[in-house]
Amino acid sequence: MRGTALARWAAGAGGLALVATGCGGGTGGSVGTAVLSSSWGDPQNPLEPANTNEVQGGKVLDMIFRGLKRYNPRTAQAENWVARSVETTDSQNFTVRLKDWRFSNGEKVTARSFVDAWNYGASLRNNQKNAYFFGYIDGYDKVHPGSGTQSADTLSGLRVVDDHTFTVRLNQKFSGFPDTLGYAAFAPLPRAFFTHHAAWLDKPVGDGPYTIESYTKGSQMTLRKWDAYPGPDKARNGGVTLRVYTDNNTAYTDLMSGNLDLVDDIPAAQLKNVRSDLGNRYINTPAGIIQTIAFPHYDPGWNKPGSQKVRTGLSMAIDRKQITRTIFRGTRTPATDWTSPVLGLAGGYKPGLCGSACDYRPAEARKLIKEGGGIPGGQVRITYNADTGSHRQWVDAVCNSINNALGNGRACVGNPVGTYADYRNQIGQHKMTGPFRSGWQMDYPLIQDFLQPLYYTDASSNDGKWSNKDFDRLIDRANAETDRPRAMADFQKAEEVVRDDMAAIPLWYQNGSGGYSERLSDVALDPFSVPVYYAIKVS
Amino acid sequence: MPEQPYEPERAIAGTGMGGAMDLAASEATTLEPAPAGPLGTGPVGKPRSLWSDAWRDLRRNPVFLLCALVIVFLVFVSLWPSAIASGSPLTCDLARSQDGPGPGAPFGYDGQGCNVYTRTVYGARTSVTVGVLATLGVSVLGSVLGGLAGYFGGVWDAILSRITDIFFAIPVVLGGLVLLSVVTSNTVWPVIGFMVLLGWPQISRIARGSVITAKQHDYVQAARALGASDTRILLRHIAPNAVAPVIVVATIALGTYIALEATLSYLGVGLKPPSVSWGIDISAASPYIRNAPHALLWPSGALAVTVLAFIMLGDAVRDALDPKLR
Repeated sequence: MRGTALARWAAGAGGLALVATGCGGGTGGSVGTAVLSSSWGDPQNPLEPANTNEVQGGKVLDMIFRGLKRYNPRTAQAENWVARSVETTDSQNFTVRLKDWRFSNGEKVTARSFVDAWNYGASLRNNQKNAYFFGYIDGYDKVHPGSGTQSADTLSGLRVVDDHTFTVRLNQKFSGFPDTLGYAAFAPLPRAFFTHHAAWLDKPVGDGPYTIESYTKGSQMTLRKWDAYPGPDKARNGGVTLRVYTDNNTAYTDLMSGNLDLVDDIPAAQLKNVRSDLGNRYINTPAGIIQTIAFPHYDPGWNKPGSQKVRTGLSMAIDRKQITRTIFRGTRTPATDWTSPVLGLAGGYKPGLCGSACDYRPAEARKLIKEGGGIPGGQVRITYNADTGSHRQWVDAVCNSINNALGNGRACVGNPVGTYADYRNQIGQHKMTGPFRSGWQMDYPLIQDFLQPLYYTDASSNDGKWSNKDFDRLIDRANAETDRPRAMADFQKAEEVVRDDMAAIPLWYQNGSGGYSERLSDVALDPFSVPVYYAIKVS
Repeated sequence: MPEQPYEPERAIAGTGMGGAMDLAASEATTLEPAPAGPLGTGPVGKPRSLWSDAWRDLRRNPVFLLCALVIVFLVFVSLWPSAIASGSPLTCDLARSQDGPGPGAPFGYDGQGCNVYTRTVYGARTSVTVGVLATLGVSVLGSVLGGLAGYFGGVWDAILSRITDIFFAIPVVLGGLVLLSVVTSNTVWPVIGFMVLLGWPQISRIARGSVITAKQHDYVQAARALGASDTRILLRHIAPNAVAPVIVVATIALGTYIALEATLSYLGVGLKPPSVSWGIDISAASPYIRNAPHALLWPSGALAVTVLAFIMLGDAVRDALDPKLR
């Protein structure tokens, strides 16, 4: 998922409703039926599961959908949820068996609910942002060819056996495939999605613990507990009101004044006060998010012999320790590889893989940048979006660090873009002429997700168009590997290729940080830095 | 002290001597090339014009003197900031983030560890540059267009008046957000250009009215009767007598342009780093107001004092030039 952890969509935050207390699903007021309010931002697209690749929409999908697997909110391990079992003998052919489950409109969740949803998501005709997640399923090249028109409507690798069973055939071995199935793109869809599409988009119907009651763009979305939810993770509150904020400072102020129950993004400027303001109602948990600085490898200035020295030099000019300590007050940890500690050592996280290239070494930085032919254009302009989170603070700090290291007050400047939408558009159109901020929040807890979508040739989120044959070959080999430790070793070798070319500068691992009102208890953020809404109790 | 109403033709009717006109040659010189002296009824000693009279008033006005002092200081600081502040405003040490006052940093440090004193001093240059250049641009463009329209009248006057109406209808901040957000330049020129673009109609309207008043006076008719060309009448007879209201409005506007520059920079569309501007610093410091209010208060204070100085100076000049208002 694109790094939108701090995304706050531009929209009027004024005229918000008052606190939604006491209007829960039933009589209201008592434990179990009271509603909580939480900070949010408008999703980028209508909430089709295969078309939502940003955090705010993902937050809602996580409440109204349950897929085959679910990532444990504490450990991030993929656990069977709607699936009774996902079995394979060769890492290429999988048999999925389902539990008895229902959509909130009463319809049964069947094998067809999944197969139809996946075919819809993969089809080129539907132009879904997450289509590439189905890329390993056999027949994907026919329904979603790289160019030209599709020659098939359905994935030949999917076959419905009976109501509770379907099989998946992949076009190559991919041992991690079952672990990816917790991602929202793999959610099942009810018939109504296909038969009454517009009505479904107005009020999406899923199979998760909450149902959507209403949504007013730019203002709020109200979700209600689904009383007949068949899963074990029934909501322990009456519902959630997601309120749109365009500025995390405003949300924080509302939390402090009692107008809001939960914020999942503490503004950097308030981190100094957060302990005294909130005490133990402040949450700071590791999340699968890494912030990096990406480069426009399509720009000749950044892609000539020696450019990797300039990039490595810039990396060495950034004092990560100082910035994470001062600006982020420990809610970020200096990165020493391109993954996340959330993966765990067994999952591929390898501290120190970056080596000296991620240490603050001003003298060496100067030397490398000089050897590499200097900074293209004489000035580094780091582009970022100004509307979300606290990017301005750290971009300014990174620039000051680079300026100090290079002894030139104008070597680096921040280049703010007003809105996240505009920023993403400029990146999508490959208009960058210098480095730009790039954050990555994992889709599923596999090292593959931190490498392939970002650095594989022409991958969906390879915004800088970096391309390296060795890297691609190692990723292919790692995916096909059924032996987990050997697969990890190959992924890490691929990561070393990224390091040696400094395709992107790793900055820091991001924690999820949030705070809540005295009305709430049992509040936690999952490893994706999304609040675990169902477990929250409201008094 | 004799009250001398702001009536330019007095120069002929009263003293008949143009030599006292400070700003430009008076109409008297044109009409009567070499009158040797007062016509006999004039006061003893050197006759006073509007301008010398205004200057006499101003010299005795403590508000004017105070404002002028502040402005002279600001101009000095803009030209030689290093004279009173050591170090570079672009050198920031994150380790000092949000620290209070220390040696060499009487105003403390901001969130990025930059020296607030140094940045505030260097910020004056931006403000004064933008204010002065925008005012000059607006005055020249507005006076020329408004003056020509007022003098020649007719269809061009009607067209120009409608154009000024249109420009008046553009909200300044909204216009700035739209127009300046597409500019990537790091210099002061886009901001100045934007201010001139949206500011000239105000001056143009005043210049037009003032020229229309002036051109109806007898000395203009006389000049025309004597065969003077339009250029000559405009430059030698009308301009000197119509310029006072423009000067008054422009001086007051200078302060508002400085405030507007800070507003636009605060919103991220005015000047951009690494330019040093009070607006940028105020914007950067505002989230830290709870922990480091000094980083917000000093540039805000400097901005307030500067804007106030220019506006009050403009007020004093208006009082002196337009005694009818008193």
